Amino acid sequence: MTTLAIQPAFALTTGLLVLLLLGLLFWPQKGLLAIWSVGKANAQRVLLEDALKFLFDSEYKGIPIRLNGFAGYLHISTDKAARLVESLRSIGLVQFQEDMLKLTDAGRSYALRIIRVHRIWERYLADETGVANKEWHGRADLKEHSMSLEAADLLAAQIGNPVFDPHGDPIPSSRGELPAYTGKPLSALKEGELGRIVHIEDEPGAIYAQILALGLYPGMQIYIMDVSEDRIQFAANGEECVLTPLFASNITVESLKEREPLKEKYAALSTLKLGETAEIQAISPSCRGQQRRRLMDLGIVPGTLIHTAFASAAGDPVAYQVMGATVAIRRSQANLIFIKPSSNTKV
Amino acid sequence: MENPNKPSHDALLSLANNLRWDLGVNLHDAVIESIYEDASRIARNAVHKEGDPATYTLERRIDQLVTSRWLGFPMMFLMLALVFWLTVAGANVPSGLLANVLVDALHPLLKNAAGSVGMPWWLSGVLIDGAYLSMAWVISVMLPPMAIFFPLFTLLEDLGYLPRVAFNMDSLFRKAGAHGKQALTLSMGFGCNAAGVIAARVIDSPRERLIAIITNNFSLCNGRWPTQILIATIFIGGAAPSYLAGVVSAGAVVGIAVLGIGFSLAVSWALSQTVLKGEASAFSLELPPYRPPRIWQTLYTSLVDRTLFVLWRAVVFAVPAGVVIWLVANLHMGELSLAEHFIYWANPLALVFGLNGVILLAYIIAIPANEIVIPTVLMLTVVSAGMTGEGAGAGVMFELESIEDTAQILQAGGWTLLTGINLMLFSLLHNPCSTTIYTIYKETKSLKWTAVATFLPIVLGLAVCFFVTQFWYLFQGG
Repeated sequence: MTTLAIQPAFALTTGLLVLLLLGLLFWPQKGLLAIWSVGKANAQRVLLEDALKFLFDSEYKGIPIRLNGFAGYLHISTDKAARLVESLRSIGLVQFQEDMLKLTDAGRSYALRIIRVHRIWERYLADETGVANKEWHGRADLKEHSMSLEAADLLAAQIGNPVFDPHGDPIPSSRGELPAYTGKPLSALKEGELGRIVHIEDEPGAIYAQILALGLYPGMQIYIMDVSEDRIQFAANGEECVLTPLFASNITVESLKEREPLKEKYAALSTLKLGETAEIQAISPSCRGQQRRRLMDLGIVPGTLIHTAFASAAGDPVAYQVMGATVAIRRSQANLIFIKPSSNTKV
Repeated sequence: MENPNKPSHDALLSLANNLRWDLGVNLHDAVIESIYEDASRIARNAVHKEGDPATYTLERRIDQLVTSRWLGFPMMFLMLALVFWLTVAGANVPSGLLANVLVDALHPLLKNAAGSVGMPWWLSGVLIDGAYLSMAWVISVMLPPMAIFFPLFTLLEDLGYLPRVAFNMDSLFRKAGAHGKQALTLSMGFGCNAAGVIAARVIDSPRERLIAIITNNFSLCNGRWPTQILIATIFIGGAAPSYLAGVVSAGAVVGIAVLGIGFSLAVSWALSQTVLKGEASAFSLELPPYRPPRIWQTLYTSLVDRTLFVLWRAVVFAVPAGVVIWLVANLHMGELSLAEHFIYWANPLALVFGLNGVILLAYIIAIPANEIVIPTVLMLTVVSAGMTGEGAGAGVMFELESIEDTAQILQAGGWTLLTGINLMLFSLLHNPCSTTIYTIYKETKSLKWTAVATFLPIVLGLAVCFFVTQFWYLFQGG
């Protein structure tokens, strides 16, 4: 047969090359196709909108604006930043007041629109999709430039008009309102003070990832145990944590006036042994969206008694008895369900 | 009358919104939790349980047995093997009977009747040799195994055993980013992929459900088992010494099925890591109490809802395909029929993948059902190789009683051991049949995922065949 004249070694190499080429083109997130579709966004507008976001955020938190910080945030040279400010001024989005850079009303409402889209999209990713929490911010940073305000409003209506994003930041209303800023950095709290985490800054990403790894989340109650120059020791939901002041400044807290009783350390459902019974205390806030609703549907809510019935042949998942039904729960989920320790009652 | 003191609509909304900021981050959960908390406290105080502890302990005993570390998996494999054995062994006789009646007896009768009323040859060809024969084939091969497999499977489900299988298998499927219940849809796929796709409804997490739907095609369905067994017997069994032939060819078929499970897990993992990463995922698995199966209801639901439903869809697709099969073999362009044009054109390309033009054409026109691939291959081989005295004419699908005769035709068509191996691989890794594709579309309501489920296996199949072939040539020295 003439076709067999094609050398197999040659054919194999060609085959491998074709596979490589396909991978290069279609690899998710890193492939040429993915990069190209990201690159389509209008670079100049993106820069302008990011600049407005930065200016607004600084104003909101009462931080003075310096050209250096501005350029650093946008990853551009100081020269380019100065030109950018000039072009923002020429289209009436910023103005100089007593040598201070200020947003005009038009600039402020533009920035609020971008922030609204960004935070609604983050909330959507957190509640309705399986996107990992480390990716929310990056994806919203891309989406905010391409999604219209109308589309964001529609999406917001679908997910119940949320007022906070998953990091605990308020979402600007469709009329452009935002509550006054009350938070202060965790590093500003003193020994013995009680606070609640309201926000965890998602930039820089490396610090954010480490804070997440500690299991901290907005809504968590913290109690400062010890403050020294290079470390802050505090209890979060009864669990002891240590952070450097640099890391702690990425966590915003609001102080709690009254000293609420500090809850004892939560035990995870996964620590409950076979044949034991306990009362459910809470579902961790890091269990969100569909998974949280599903657990609640099954009767995993505070106050319910749960009994460990039997394990599967491979050990995970484990079957629990709750509200008269037997349900299987994976270990990764059982780690996110808290029980009252040392209760031993009958179901 | 407008009250000047009344705040406007907008002001009210904005006030409400501002108040919501003061309520904190977790308001919704707090409300739901407190409702549940109150309800469960009231229920605990008011409801007095008078259960039957005896059945309850018995049930727990069974649970501990079927999920035990040492007995759990062997029991499961035995149970599934039994179901498959009953299906394969039980379906032989009724399948033969149906084929005797529908293909061997009724088909010539219809042809004669058409001849006697003076129907033109092309009309009787299209209608009887094409449409009718393809439908008859699909029914006779598809109906009996499904009519046995589905009731058995439904019985196990009704008994409460299948959720325990999902429970035991979850740790394996979790590692592949899938749901334990995919073990059930995968097993169901061995009966019929379309039914397996429908069965994925039991998975309520969107991501895991899509994974189960897209990978179901890697379960070797009923329609492909006969192909695998025939080809393995002719080529793989034929290459082994005669006293080992039976064991080797059976091993090859089981190997292909296991390879399919391997592909299913690997593709599940790849999908959950890449394109499906962002889909929402929520694990939940209830283990219902055991109960005596309701035999009649089981028979009814499995026969009417599953078997006849799937069969009807298959027949709807098989009829037009029969027409197409007849037409490509009988419409001529110049000297050659359309089929021959395609076969000669595709041959060089197909040989790179270790297949041939006949196989490619058969898989394209026999897309409605894997059951008619072998009859189509035989018919096309006879047509394209210009054999005389075999089969029943151009466009008339046929099968032979004797495996030796089938082997002779295929070998005359240029088939080698390599072609046999590649056909077995390609039969496992190619697009789902049109019934399944349509079902996937109905279940996902998405053209995108339907396209992925259709083309991903073909690309995989061609790649696997290509590398197998080229390595084969490499070690054979060209």
